Amino acid sequence: MELSTEVQEGLQIAGDTSVIQDNDFITIMDVLCHNIPNLKQPHKTLDIPQKSETTVAVKRAYGSLLCLMLEAAKHDADESNIVAILEDCRFSPDRLSSVTKSFLEHKAQIRTHLGGIGLYPPHIVDVDWRLDYCIKDSNRDKVNEPVYLIDLKTQRSGETELHDIQFSCTMEQLQDLVGKLKDATKSLEKIAQL
Amino acid sequence: MEEVDNIIIHSLRQIGCDVEDEVQSLRDFSTATVVEAAVKCLCVIDQKFDMSPVLPPGMSARYRIGTSLAEACVEIGYKGEIGYQTFLYANETDVRKILIFLLEKIPKESAATAEEPAGSSSALMSQAICNEIKRRLQLPMRPLRVCHGGLRLRDSLTQSHRQDYSNTWPFHAVSVNLPEGVSDLTKPQSLEFGLSVIDCESLGRCKPEDVAPSVLEANALQLTIAQEWEAEWNQSGLHSRLTQEEYRARKHQRLHKRIADHLTRAVQAASGDSDASALTGVHTERPVARVKGSRFTHSEKLQFTKQEEKPSEAVKPQAETEEDIQKHREQEFESLKTQLDGLSDRLENTKLETRQYSTSIDKRSLSELEQTKRRAEGHLQGQKRVLDLLPDAENNIAKLQNVIATKCRKLVNLGNQWENHRGPLMEQYNTLKEQNGCRLSETEKKLEEIKRLREKMRALATDTRAKDDLYKQLVAEYERTTKDVNRAAYTKRILEIITNINKQNQDIQKVLSDTKEVQKEINVLSGKLDRTFTVTDELIFKDAKKDESVRKAYKYLASLHENCSQLIKTVEDTGVIMREIRDLEDQIESESNKRTLANLQRIQADYHEMKKENAALMSQLKQLQ
Repeated sequence: MELSTEVQEGLQIAGDTSVIQDNDFITIMDVLCHNIPNLKQPHKTLDIPQKSETTVAVKRAYGSLLCLMLEAAKHDADESNIVAILEDCRFSPDRLSSVTKSFLEHKAQIRTHLGGIGLYPPHIVDVDWRLDYCIKDSNRDKVNEPVYLIDLKTQRSGETELHDIQFSCTMEQLQDLVGKLKDATKSLEKIAQL
Repeated sequence: MEEVDNIIIHSLRQIGCDVEDEVQSLRDFSTATVVEAAVKCLCVIDQKFDMSPVLPPGMSARYRIGTSLAEACVEIGYKGEIGYQTFLYANETDVRKILIFLLEKIPKESAATAEEPAGSSSALMSQAICNEIKRRLQLPMRPLRVCHGGLRLRDSLTQSHRQDYSNTWPFHAVSVNLPEGVSDLTKPQSLEFGLSVIDCESLGRCKPEDVAPSVLEANALQLTIAQEWEAEWNQSGLHSRLTQEEYRARKHQRLHKRIADHLTRAVQAASGDSDASALTGVHTERPVARVKGSRFTHSEKLQFTKQEEKPSEAVKPQAETEEDIQKHREQEFESLKTQLDGLSDRLENTKLETRQYSTSIDKRSLSELEQTKRRAEGHLQGQKRVLDLLPDAENNIAKLQNVIATKCRKLVNLGNQWENHRGPLMEQYNTLKEQNGCRLSETEKKLEEIKRLREKMRALATDTRAKDDLYKQLVAEYERTTKDVNRAAYTKRILEIITNINKQNQDIQKVLSDTKEVQKEINVLSGKLDRTFTVTDELIFKDAKKDESVRKAYKYLASLHENCSQLIKTVEDTGVIMREIRDLEDQIESESNKRTLANLQRIQADYHEMKKENAALMSQLKQLQ
């Protein structure tokens, strides 16, 4: 896991007790802990009293800590990795422990949130089928063939409504389809065997 | 023999034969198991070999299978005697030989399959993929309504995966950096801000779903910028021997210039055809005529640019109404007026320039004239002086020659002094130049060394990281591998067996040497016996004619000799018979292992069955016909 130099500098600022006072650090951690589990709600910003000396430093520290948490969750880092990074940035032990603790608490949530980011193709979740038997039609006198009407319900990413894919097929085509599905399953299992 | 059997059974289980657990040795293998084992081995060895491992009940089918298996084994290279009987009427030693042969053939094929280095990241990733797929395949299916927010949970949240996609959104990153120029001037520490600081205000401004992507993207961007700069600096920056800021500034200038060039060229290409030509065309004509320029003259000038033909042609048919014509004329009038103004300005400027040029030309000619005048004056002065000196010609010539001589001497003197000064200075100059050159080459060497050391450092760091990962991965794999095959025990047994064999060899050697010694003794003794007998024989025979007791003694001697030799012969015969007995016992044992009697009974039964099957088929055939 690599953090850019700017983020590392920001982390150094965050860990430096002379630059960021303890109460500011607590404010930063509070806002982080509020924002991180609720990454889908609007981002609550730091409201710091506008002291010009520390405002910018506090903002920078907040940004770097946020970046650290997201990157660590992305790489599935465990406690030792984070402790190593923070020790490199010269964090004091109690700040280090508080950051690690809050990270481990929220890591799973961050990972699920990050896992939801992406473009996913439509996904079949349900199927409705109906077997019709065609006795006669206008062009031929006796038809006597069964016909399957299949309705696949797909789910597209980001939408809760299901879309339908409908088609009709004869029994041989359906057997073909099922055969292909079985092939796909077998190849999956073969991959899992390795 | 049990270890060999264990190994064989274990390897067969690994290929995929199910051998029952009670089967511990090859003696208990049934015909079906033997056939299945052989078929599985052949399938693994030769991919094209296709036979079902199940033994069919019909006798003729079994016979066919036996022969095809035997042929396949011969094809692979089995050199012993093999036929359908080795599979169907199994004999323990033969089965063992065949199975060992087949199993030996296998590992060479499977070892040739691709072996990726164990620690490579692709191997790691494929292993992780394989584990995850295995885990997910084992979970039962859950219908859509039961999933929580799209997640499929298992144990803690750490091992969930997504099943429902209604809560996903695409990766969209916005720039969340501080605008340039925001700096904290009151801080004594140099907190330099550039474009690269993540700003929480801008995080609050973007959509909540974009926060995480934007932060990750900003970090990745900064990392790549740093890496690329690192690479470029190592490549070409160190060579140019500038400081980092100078190098950056120079690169900035170069890029700026290139962009400016491109832009001007593009602008010229786009607009140069229309405006420039119009302007040049207008410039040659007199301004007066152009004021009245109608649309037609305008388009005439632009005729040689094909692009403008179409717009001008398009312009013509549009202005049909009077007002439009009027408007057009007015617009043209305006534009032409502005052009006129511009052109008149230019005219003024050019007039000024011509005036300036003419004045400068005048000045130059004036200065040239003055120079020639001065030269002429100097010349005149010299001529005047010569004229003055001319009356007192010889004296003056002698005086002038003296003066010339003294002047020459002075020149030579000065020249020598100059050489004296020049010599050491030149030497100094040369030495300093050499030193400079040396220093340059030294700096180059040092740069090379620095580069080499940096490369080494980087290589070592990557090596250590790779080795650490490899170590961790191998430890994990070692813990994962099943420990039912205890290799250490096998290797210990093998070593024990080897030492046993060595001991036995030594014993055999000892026994052999003992036997040889005994044989030698026997030979010696029998030789002695013969000689003593012949000697005594002769001795007694000599006296046997005269004395009766001596004749009796001779007879006793003869009979003694005969009896003893008979005894010896019987002892030898007993030994031979004992050996034969032992051989026969061994033969009996091996034959009994072959279970020939049982096999013969089975063969007979199978033969009867085959006959019955044939008869049944014939009757069926007759029925059909």
